[in-house]
Amino acid sequence: MADLLGQLEALAKGAREAIGSAADEKALEDLRVRFLGKKGELSAVLRGMGALPAEERPRVGEVANRVRDEVEALLADAKGRLDARKLEAELAGPPIDVTLPGRRLLPRGHRHPITRATEDISAIFARLGYEVASGPEIELDWFNFEALNIPPDHPARDMQDTFYVEVSTLGDGAPDGSVLLRTHTSPVQIRAMQRLGVPPVRIICPGRVYRSDYDQTHSPMFHQVEGLCVDEGITFADLKGTLAAFARAYFGEGTRTRFRPSYFPFVEPGAEVDVSCSICGGTGRLPVPGGQLPPDRATRRCGTCKETGWLEVLGAGMVHPKVLENGGFDPKRYSGFAFGMGVERMAMLRYGIDDLRLYFENDLRFLEQF
Amino acid sequence: MRISLKWLSEYVDLPAPDEVARRLTAVGFEVEAVERVGQGLAGVVAARILASEKHPNAEKLSVTRIDAGKGEPLQIVCGAKNYQVGDVVPLATVGTTLPGGTKIEKAKLRGVESFGMLCSARELGLSEDASGLLILDRGIAPGTPVADALGLEDVLLEVNVTPNRPDALSHIGIAREIAALLGHQVRLPRPALREAGAPAAEAVKVRIEAPEKCARYAARVVEGVKIGPSPLWLARRLESCGVRSISNVVDATNFVLLELGHPLHAFDLDQVAGHEIVVRTARPGEKIVTLDGKERALEPDDLLIADRDRGSALAGVMGGGDSEISAGTTRVLIESAWFAPSGIRRTSRRHGLKTEASYRFERGADPGMVIPALDRCAALIAELAGGTVRPGIVDAHPRPHHAPEVRLRWRRPAELLGVDVARDEVLRVLGGLGFEARASDADGATFAVPSWRVDVSLEEDLVEEIVRTKGYDAIPETLPANAARTPVEPADAQVTARAREALEGAGFAEAVNFSFVAERELAPFADPSAAALRPIALKNPISADLAVMRTSLVPSLLRNTSTNRRQRVEDVRLYELARVYRPAPAGSDVPAAEEGELAGVLVGRRNPTGWAAGPDPIDFNDAKAAVVAVLEALGIDARWRARGGAWLHPRLSAEVLGADGAPLGEVGELHPRVAAAFELPRGVFAFRLSGAALVRSARLVPRYGGIPRFPAVLRDLAVVVAEEVEAGAVLASVREEPLVEDATLFDVYRGPPIPAGKKNLALAIRYRAPDRTLTDTEADAAHARIVARLRGGLGAELRG
Ligand SMILES: [Zn+2]
Repeated sequence: MADLLGQLEALAKGAREAIGSAADEKALEDLRVRFLGKKGELSAVLRGMGALPAEERPRVGEVANRVRDEVEALLADAKGRLDARKLEAELAGPPIDVTLPGRRLLPRGHRHPITRATEDISAIFARLGYEVASGPEIELDWFNFEALNIPPDHPARDMQDTFYVEVSTLGDGAPDGSVLLRTHTSPVQIRAMQRLGVPPVRIICPGRVYRSDYDQTHSPMFHQVEGLCVDEGITFADLKGTLAAFARAYFGEGTRTRFRPSYFPFVEPGAEVDVSCSICGGTGRLPVPGGQLPPDRATRRCGTCKETGWLEVLGAGMVHPKVLENGGFDPKRYSGFAFGMGVERMAMLRYGIDDLRLYFENDLRFLEQF
Repeated sequence: MRISLKWLSEYVDLPAPDEVARRLTAVGFEVEAVERVGQGLAGVVAARILASEKHPNAEKLSVTRIDAGKGEPLQIVCGAKNYQVGDVVPLATVGTTLPGGTKIEKAKLRGVESFGMLCSARELGLSEDASGLLILDRGIAPGTPVADALGLEDVLLEVNVTPNRPDALSHIGIAREIAALLGHQVRLPRPALREAGAPAAEAVKVRIEAPEKCARYAARVVEGVKIGPSPLWLARRLESCGVRSISNVVDATNFVLLELGHPLHAFDLDQVAGHEIVVRTARPGEKIVTLDGKERALEPDDLLIADRDRGSALAGVMGGGDSEISAGTTRVLIESAWFAPSGIRRTSRRHGLKTEASYRFERGADPGMVIPALDRCAALIAELAGGTVRPGIVDAHPRPHHAPEVRLRWRRPAELLGVDVARDEVLRVLGGLGFEARASDADGATFAVPSWRVDVSLEEDLVEEIVRTKGYDAIPETLPANAARTPVEPADAQVTARAREALEGAGFAEAVNFSFVAERELAPFADPSAAALRPIALKNPISADLAVMRTSLVPSLLRNTSTNRRQRVEDVRLYELARVYRPAPAGSDVPAAEEGELAGVLVGRRNPTGWAAGPDPIDFNDAKAAVVAVLEALGIDARWRARGGAWLHPRLSAEVLGADGAPLGEVGELHPRVAAAFELPRGVFAFRLSGAALVRSARLVPRYGGIPRFPAVLRDLAVVVAEEVEAGAVLASVREEPLVEDATLFDVYRGPPIPAGKKNLALAIRYRAPDRTLTDTEADAAHARIVARLRGGLGAELRG
């Protein structure tokens, strides 16, 4: 018996030494097989137990179990140690090249700046309670001109070079009358008033408009946003407050507005609305970067507002009584204001676009910047 | 309208030029430019030519001695020939820099010294005339600065006069506005008219046959005139306003036009057959040669100034060649009339003739100015061209003007403006502008509109006059007091927003194209059921390439793709969301059916960005994926049917249908011939979806269906089917089994050991029962039913 116990003791000692110095997982596995495997050293010792007297077997068995437990614990310990060392080594290695561009699942898409500006404008007016309305682009002369107090042979028609539609290509379903491509979004004023029938009317209408003029600064198609507010007791002061609020929301807090008398046949009184230049902050001058310059050369002319400090961005006014009547509203009881703006210009000012033609060329090198 | 401040100052006292510009802009006459002229002429003086001889060494040069008022004569070498000894001409002295930038220095020209330069009008920046020296009045003392002698220093304003204010298209008109603003008086010109001889009525008769087009026609006769050039002051006046000087008589009419705003016309009375003026409409087939030398076929709507025999001028628009003032004219008939605006405008547009006269008449001339302008012009002609004015005016006046009266209630300004305006301010402002208060009571007052204010007829117009003068700055900023309706976002706006997001998430950039295209580009996209109908066409397109309204957005996108590829941008994904235009159905209240379309085009690599990009080109399934992205965003469960429209490749395209079978759109590779027409290679894919159909099919609000409580059983299935059997049919057949919760196609394989003409489809099927845990036996039975159905219905064989 003492012999067997001695063998077990030796086995345990050998295991302690060998496992303690095992260098990797493979060596550890080999040791497990050597000591605990079916043909391993412990099994060999236990096979010798058969020759022992029965009363001695439990004692030897007990020691053998203790040795097995110890060897297993040693192996687990060593495994843990090796794993930790391996993880340390992995974490301590050199970092990857994080400057490589991230791998994209798909390229990002782009929304056209005109759509972006239109959405921004619409969102501001939505907060002021304006609903989006729409109307036809192929429009009757009556809605585009006459209902807006621009009768035939009126010189105000010269303000807008008009595309007319070949009526024979409209088919039989079209209502009678001269048909054109709307020159402004203002006909939607009439259609919206007729559709709603009762106040309050508070709508904006973004959309395409057309004028027969094509050069560097004119496009035969462009975009406007029209606004209309009709109710009892609407005043020019309300118009001023509304557009001032809009200008601050669109161009930034601190933006000032200025109203100048002007003429649009469908409003009376009418105004051009200027906002303080968003590029130079209304000073007309821009700082010249770099160095200590004498005061007269430290700034340069602001080209956006042509040094005036103001940008002309809106037309507006109180809805003309004839227009209210044509929309089905009694001008003695109701009043209203209307305004309109060019989306291309609003987008130009917001994004710094300097050429109208870029909008419609759809060059991806342009579109991808939005 | 160009306004000379020097000229304007004759009629009203002016503040500084910049202040004038600011004030005019503030009352609605936007000053677009302020130009200072006649400056930089310091150092240019009047000089008398004392002697002139040929240059010894140069054929074309002369050597002159001149008196520049300095005692000693100066020697100047000169190239001009148009002077005589004794003439007074401008001399740019040594040290002067001319407006063009030329610096005058002492020089030796071909060996002869020259102490300055004699100048032409162009060299002084006065006009384009460079034909010779500018010859000045001999009365000007040598040494006088030329700018002083000619009164050249001036400030010119470019004033934008809106179409409603024809009364401001003159110096008097602008003077009236400034006087009203500053509380000054206007100094009207008072012509000193000396009449002599027999009454004018004996020299000419006037008859108006179309009083609805001509309310008044007044004429004067000036006899014994001598046609010649205008004096320099007059020529300068006209030229500073952009009108060319022609002759003393014609210039006189133009001067009065610019001064008083009333268009006049001068005829050679001896060319007026029968000495009779007839104002009548054109006869059928009648023609006239206008001053610009063009023969014009007239319509009965055109108004003519005719003599006994024929038409001699297009009334209020342009004169005719026959009766024009010529060098030999001695008897002048001056016309001052009032023509109805709409007729003038129609004639002007019909003949493409826009003149200073038509511009004013079509906006509305001042009926009160007919006679003052006539008198002013007659006096001026007599002064400039000699001659005598025959006594009296030949005046046909069938429709006298009655000044309208407009009532203003005292409370109306506050109602409309949101700010109180005191009663005396109302009276002061309107009175200053020439609106005379007639009856005034506690409620309001009635105002007589001055004859020149053709734009005022309503109470609101008077309110505008008040606020225009007061300034909008006086109005506070408020917001409408009443509540608004709560804005509701319409369904189509939500569909639009989601579709955009889906496509942009798939890497598409949005394009915006013109709504009109070339008709030929639309041909492949025509709806075969409406083959006979042309697209809606413009009457006056910019060009044939922008002539008809789009019936599909795809051609524009194809052109964009082509353009981008020419710029070496080869991976293109573009979409556009806009209206397409078709004839309206009967009974429509709009002229055309305008419906939204969503279209896209894609070509290039599937994964075009970055170092990890692969070379795989986009194929049909990428195009389909883009459509699916949109449909999924809208909650639409679509069906797919092989073969799209004629513009698509018949084998590589599909029709997209809603769950109910309604058509939603098309997707596929471009037909090779369409691709070639747009200069595109093979492999360009495109889709178009009907906006209206998307809105109809969209399920924007999801519906919660519960979470399954019992586990699923998963089984794979591999079947071999003939090539022509569509995957969709296999999946549909699988889904007929009630226990199938979902089935996914995860592989398509062709090649050995699968026989040619067949393909292997691998499917993952998930079985589940809603009310119990499915047993393997149940799942096996369901699987077997599926296999049997596939075999029977689609000829499928089980594999592996
Ligand atoms: Zn600026």
